Amino acid sequence: MLPRSMYKEIELVVGPENVSDDISIKYAYRSPYVTVVLPGSTEEVQAVVKICNKYKVPFKAQSTGWSFYPPEYDFVLLDLRRMDRIIEIDEKNMYAVCEPGVIAAELQAELFKRGLTCNIKGAGSNCTALALSGHGHMGITTSTGDRNDLATEWVTDEGEIIRLGSLSSSGEWFCGDGPGPSLRAIIRSGGVITKQATKVYHWPGPTYYDLKGSSPQYILLEKPANFMVRYFSFPSIEKMLEAELKIGESEIAFELMGFCPSMVSSNITTSNEEDFTTLQELLKEVQGPGFMVIIAGNYPEDFEYKKKVLEQIIKETSGKSLKIVEDPKVETTLLIQCTRISASIRETFRAGGAFASMMVQGQRYDLHVRWLEEAAEMKRELIRKGLVIADEGYQFGWAEENAHLGHTEIFCRYNPYDEASLKAVQEWVRKVAERALEGCFALPRPGILPVEMVGPRMSNYHLWFEKIKEAFDPNYIGGLTGFSYVGVDSASDHTSLYKRKGPAP
Amino acid sequence: MAIEDYEGDMKMCCRCSACKYIPLQMIRHSKFSDVCPSIARYNFHAYSGGGKLLIGREMLAKGFEYTDRFLHIVFNCLLCGACDVSCKYAMDMEVLLPISELRMKCVENGNTHPTFEKVINLLRSKGKMVEGEGKRSEWAEGLNIKDVRREKVEVYYHAGCLSSYNKEYHHIPRTVAKMLKEAGVNFGIAYEGEICCGGRAHEMGYREDFFNQAMKNVEIVKRSGARVIVTSCAHCYHAFKVLYDRYGFKEFEVLHITELLEKLIKEGRIKIRNSLALNVTYHDPCYLGRLGEAWIHFKGKKLPGIKFVFDPPKTYRRGAHGVYNPPREVLRMIPGLKIYEMERKKEYAWCCGAGGGVSESNPDFALWTAERRLEEAMETGATVIVTACPWCEQMLKKAVASRGVDLQVWDVVEVVERTI
Repeated sequence: MLPRSMYKEIELVVGPENVSDDISIKYAYRSPYVTVVLPGSTEEVQAVVKICNKYKVPFKAQSTGWSFYPPEYDFVLLDLRRMDRIIEIDEKNMYAVCEPGVIAAELQAELFKRGLTCNIKGAGSNCTALALSGHGHMGITTSTGDRNDLATEWVTDEGEIIRLGSLSSSGEWFCGDGPGPSLRAIIRSGGVITKQATKVYHWPGPTYYDLKGSSPQYILLEKPANFMVRYFSFPSIEKMLEAELKIGESEIAFELMGFCPSMVSSNITTSNEEDFTTLQELLKEVQGPGFMVIIAGNYPEDFEYKKKVLEQIIKETSGKSLKIVEDPKVETTLLIQCTRISASIRETFRAGGAFASMMVQGQRYDLHVRWLEEAAEMKRELIRKGLVIADEGYQFGWAEENAHLGHTEIFCRYNPYDEASLKAVQEWVRKVAERALEGCFALPRPGILPVEMVGPRMSNYHLWFEKIKEAFDPNYIGGLTGFSYVGVDSASDHTSLYKRKGPAP
Repeated sequence: MAIEDYEGDMKMCCRCSACKYIPLQMIRHSKFSDVCPSIARYNFHAYSGGGKLLIGREMLAKGFEYTDRFLHIVFNCLLCGACDVSCKYAMDMEVLLPISELRMKCVENGNTHPTFEKVINLLRSKGKMVEGEGKRSEWAEGLNIKDVRREKVEVYYHAGCLSSYNKEYHHIPRTVAKMLKEAGVNFGIAYEGEICCGGRAHEMGYREDFFNQAMKNVEIVKRSGARVIVTSCAHCYHAFKVLYDRYGFKEFEVLHITELLEKLIKEGRIKIRNSLALNVTYHDPCYLGRLGEAWIHFKGKKLPGIKFVFDPPKTYRRGAHGVYNPPREVLRMIPGLKIYEMERKKEYAWCCGAGGGVSESNPDFALWTAERRLEEAMETGATVIVTACPWCEQMLKKAVASRGVDLQVWDVVEVVERTI
């Protein structure tokens, strides 16, 4: 519980209606230690952060709260939901400026009208439109979250408002690296991003999808001109990766999403039962690992050219098209789901209520895929024991920036309230992470393994990071990085990079 | 039914926030992306559908603490079901039902809203849910309608409390009665014998009072000989069609007046004689639309294992099969009239503010909600908002008055009346 005088001071800043530590609020935010504050502006964020510094009470911030890792001591949560304005869309310079409470579906809707789109995290368009980190389905065109952020307004852990990149020198949002300070790596260590510009990209599709039907099956009666969706499976991972690279090099795909069959199945079905039945059908047809491709032509000749190149690549790599996806109804369903990114919840949560993921962002090829193939084997063992959802255990991923970069991932869907299921998944995560280090395959994201274990493998970066943190956050109360397993409060079983034991300072 | 029955559903909430927005694919404008008035107004996650599930889940496990904030959250839910639709776009779980049970739990344990208590006392003493002097059947004066207390009929018309006791809405049942007469429908009303359907009592959390009303209404209908109940109120429609069925009271067909009008016009029994050069937008009442979907009786068990699936497979009510087309079809049959749809429509329509008894318990919030709907209606360029429920009409009219805008609010029957 916060000191009452502190609570009163926060009330004066945001108004009594925008702060609460009531038990019901604590339950809704999944922490017995939380006091939730709803700031409405950068100035209010700054004022609350300064109060936190004054009382030396830690704070965290969240945009939409999809993934939240509550600390185990009294803290202030800045829920930035009220900061929900799209500040600017600059079509000429191709960026959009948003506050954290804007969700990607909202920004994309406005961008579509202008022939533009944006990067959307794989978690879904229900999450913040801010770039931040996070990779998504359209990455082959829109790159990764952390390569999309431009100028940024940032409240430091001490409560100073810093404008980064071109914003600091010219008041313009077009660049994250200057003229002016570039602290793009630093801002992920804490503080609160209150406004940010994100890059936007050309969208050759309609200004909106004229959908018919009703939930949970909205239908696009007519496929937009010059669009095609296909799913290809391959005889081996090598062949699949070869195809990915060739598609990237030829720059023909709008989207290349390495769905495993269960993700395709979840996307195109409207209930669990239908999902499991459909998956069995898909598994009969696929010959091995695969991906979904969306071709989007700017005009008929462009479309024809891209299709022909794709055809050639698929031929060269022995790819096989999944017939069910060639059905126009399924094809258009995938098109809308995978460009508006509205099906991630089906993929991850519908079956068991939670998922635990292992991912590597930035790379895909060779080592990472090999590592997660091992993880898939370990997962299949859990499937056999009935401890995670039976989805055949595939890893998945996708090419980004025309295959300069990539993303590789595997997740276990499970029931967080089934003790055996939860324990098995936690153990699987730990083993897969340890294997990443032992085999020199990858560096698991912070928080999965103790920092003392990971840091030395990364030039003791954690020690340097501590110094930076100390400089920006001398009271050590700022938004500490962490990593949660989405949908379940199991993160306390893992060691966050900056998680401290015991009471707050 | 109790909140305990939905423990599994509440545990399925993954905190994705889908319940706050219209189905994501349908978002066309950042201004009209919200779907839940409660979270849109109060912003704490606790006010969202998912937030309430998390609270319910925790309180079920750790004990109920009836704090002011908790009760504010519970009683400032419009129970409009929008969260339920948006969640079920992706998930297989109940959302609205546990939220409704959460409120029931509060009321059953004596933690009600004082305004609700007042309204329910009115129901218990006078069989009505709204203030207002005068006779219940005042609207029917001079129409010479059959009295079901004495005569057998095929159709029992239930006007509902608001249309009966608020003179401003007498035009709705009067017009309905005139049209049914013109169409030669053998119908009657219960005059002073009509009593509240109990639907809004159920919304407010008073299940026992709902049961009392249901039992009495079943008797009225049985005695009338009618096999069909027709109502022009969305809340009554929901009560008779969905709740009576859910709790085993339904022994008759239930039609909303727009469903019957569509049929009668198509059969030529009501003739559209005049054109109406009018640009309208249609507001879907929640209790007629997404919540008007028939009840699905389900008796199954969750299968053992980690998947949230049932034996036999559970068919969820996802809001898609409510009464959406009949009112639109009736409007489409009027020459000269053009419908301009709002962005949020049908199963993901924004509530008018009257749901869940909030128009009584928190009129400011109800008005705020209605004003948001008004803004959306105005964007269509329509000059008239047409709806099919007196409660919606009331809220939208309040919003028009509050904003001082030049927009009219009509019921569907009022539109038809001008053409016959």
